[in-house]
Amino acid sequence: MRATIIKEFRELRRDKRTLAMLIGLPLMLLIIFGFAANFTIDTLTVSVVGSDASQAEQLVSQSPDASDQLDLTTVDEDGTEAQVRDQLADDEVDMAILTGDASPSDRPTVLIDGSNLFAAQTANVIVAGLGDAVDSEILYNPDLETSWVMVPALIGLILTFIGTIITSIGLVREREQGTLEQLAVMPFSSASVIIGKITPYFILACVDMVIITVLGMWVFDVPFNGSVTAFVLGAAIFLFVVLGIGVLISTVSQTTGQAVQVAMMTLLPQVLLSGMIFPLEAMAAGVRWIGYLLPLTYFTKISQGIMLRDSSWSYLWPSLAVLVLMAVVIFGTAVVRLRRDLAPAKAR
Amino acid sequence: MSAVVVAENITKKFGDFTAVDDVSLRLEPGEIVGLLGANGAGKTTLLRVLLGLEVATDGRAEVFGSAPASSDRHALGYVPQGLGLYLELTVEQNVAFVAEAFGVDDLPPLPPALAEVRDRQAASIGLGRQRQLAFHCALLHRPTLLILDEPTSGVDPLARARLWDTIHEQAENGVAVLVTTHYMQEAEQCSRLVMMSRGKKVAAGTTAEITSGTRAVVVHADDWAGAFAALGDADLPVVLSGRTSRVAGTAPDEVSAALRDAGVEARLEEVPATLEETMVLVERAARDEA
Repeated sequence: MRATIIKEFRELRRDKRTLAMLIGLPLMLLIIFGFAANFTIDTLTVSVVGSDASQAEQLVSQSPDASDQLDLTTVDEDGTEAQVRDQLADDEVDMAILTGDASPSDRPTVLIDGSNLFAAQTANVIVAGLGDAVDSEILYNPDLETSWVMVPALIGLILTFIGTIITSIGLVREREQGTLEQLAVMPFSSASVIIGKITPYFILACVDMVIITVLGMWVFDVPFNGSVTAFVLGAAIFLFVVLGIGVLISTVSQTTGQAVQVAMMTLLPQVLLSGMIFPLEAMAAGVRWIGYLLPLTYFTKISQGIMLRDSSWSYLWPSLAVLVLMAVVIFGTAVVRLRRDLAPAKAR
Repeated sequence: MSAVVVAENITKKFGDFTAVDDVSLRLEPGEIVGLLGANGAGKTTLLRVLLGLEVATDGRAEVFGSAPASSDRHALGYVPQGLGLYLELTVEQNVAFVAEAFGVDDLPPLPPALAEVRDRQAASIGLGRQRQLAFHCALLHRPTLLILDEPTSGVDPLARARLWDTIHEQAENGVAVLVTTHYMQEAEQCSRLVMMSRGKKVAAGTTAEITSGTRAVVVHADDWAGAFAALGDADLPVVLSGRTSRVAGTAPDEVSAALRDAGVEARLEEVPATLEETMVLVERAARDEA
C-alpha cells in the first residue's frame, strides 16, 4: 500500500495539468462563488419620460430607499413611450417610468424588462411597494419564466460544448491513433485537413442549435421575437470562436483525457461567469471583467436580445464585433498551431 | 537514374538532445534501404524529417527532388509504426478513405485475409491483419516511394514473411523502399543498410560490406556456461548461440587468455561475424566513443 501511495504522489507531481486542476479549480470555485455567485441586483437603471419626469426625479431623490436602488439614467420630459421601449429592448435600462402625457393611463406606468430576471424581480418588489400609485407592465417575459431566459443562453452552452469538448476530442484522437501524421503525408493541404476535420462539428453544432431552439420554443413557449438572420450570424461567428478553442486545446493536448481536462477548465468559467446563471451586474467588479473575456457572455447577450427583446442592430453589433475579434484571434491561432503539427516545414 | 530520397548531413536536435547527428543517405528506385539500429538510435526521427513531419536542425533533405513538405505526396506510401489506421472504421471504410484521398477509382481487390473481415472495425481484426491493412492502404495508389517504420513489429513469422514478399515485389517493380527495423533477419533482406547508433550513422553498405573483415571466435566448451561467464567477466562482446559462445571482433589469443585465466578448457574456431555481431561491435564502439 505504501508503495502505491508513493507512486501515486510521484505520478501526480509530474502530471502538471492535474496539479493545476487540484490547485486552480478550488481557487477558481472559491473566487466565483465568493464574488460572483450573487443573484441580487441592488441598483436598477431607470429611464423616466413624460411631462412629469422632473417631478418623479425629485420624488426619487428625496426618498433614501429609492435613490439607493434606482439609478435614473434618463430623465426626459419630452420623451415618449416608444423611446423607452427601444431603450428596454436594447438593454440600456432595467425599467422605465412613463409619466404625464407619456403614460397611457392617468397614473404613471412602470415598464419592466422581464428578460433581466433578477433585475425584474427587484423592480417588481419596488413597484409592489408603490401599491395603486402606478400601473406596471413586465415586458418580454411577463411571467418571469426562468426557462425563457435560460434557453437562449443554453443554446450558447451547447454550441460551446460541441465546439470545445467534442472538437478537441475528435482532433486529439487523431493524434493518439497516429492518424494525424498519416493525414500530414497524404496529398491534402493543411487547410483542407483542418476544414475537413472542423466542418462535421460545425454542421452537428448547427443541427443541435436548431433542435434546441425549436424544442425550447415548443416545450417552454420561449418566444423568438427578433431577426433570424442576426441570430444565425451571431451563432455562426460564436461557433467559430468555440471551434477555435477546441482546435487550440487539441494542439496542446496529447491525450483525450488531457483535452477533456483543459476543455472543462474553459467551460466552467463560461457557465458561471457569462451572466447565464449569475447576472453580470451583480458580480463584484474584480470578477466581472473575467466575464467580459468569455465568448459565451457575448453570445448570451445576442441570443437573449434577439429571441426575447427583438433588440436592434445598434445593440447587437458591439457583441458581434467582439465575437468576430475573438474568432479571428482564437481560430487564427488554432489553425496556425494545427498547421504547424501537420506541416512543420511549411509553417516556418 | 535520379535518387528518390536524398539526405545530406541531417541533424535533428530536440533541445539539448541530438536525435539524429549528421546522417546522409540516398535511395534509388528499386532499392530497399534498411535503417538499422537499436531503439532510440534515431531511425524514426530521420524518417520523420524525410516525410516533412519534423524540420531538420541542420542539413538538406529532398524527396522526389524537392523539400519533403512540398514533395509529391501522391507518389508516397507510408506505414508508420502505429499503423495510422482509423480503428473505429471498418476495414472497407479505411480503404475507401485512403482511395478517396489519393483519387484512386480502380480499387484492387482486398487480400483474402482482409476480405473476410471487410465489415469489421479495424480495432477488432488483430495486429497481423491491421498491418496487412496498413500495407494495402499504403500501396493502393501505386506509390513510387514506400516508407515503412518497423513494418513487421509484433507480427508472427509467417505474416512477416508475407509482408516482406510484398516489399520485394514492390522493389522489383521499381518502387524505392526505405524501411526501419531492428530485426537482423529483416535487415539482411535489404539491398543496402544504414546502421545507426545514438543518432549517428555508424556503418553503411550491403550486409556483406558491413560484415566483411569482421571475424568472430566460436568457443566450444564442455563447461559452456563457465566459458560464457568467463568471457563476460573479461568484458568481451560475447553472445550465446546454443551451447557455444561467440566473441566478435576479438583476436583468438585474447579469447584464449580469458578462458585460461578462468580455468575453462575450450576449443576455438574462427568464423566470419554475423550482422548481429557486427552491430553489437559497432554499438560498443559508439558507446565507448560517447
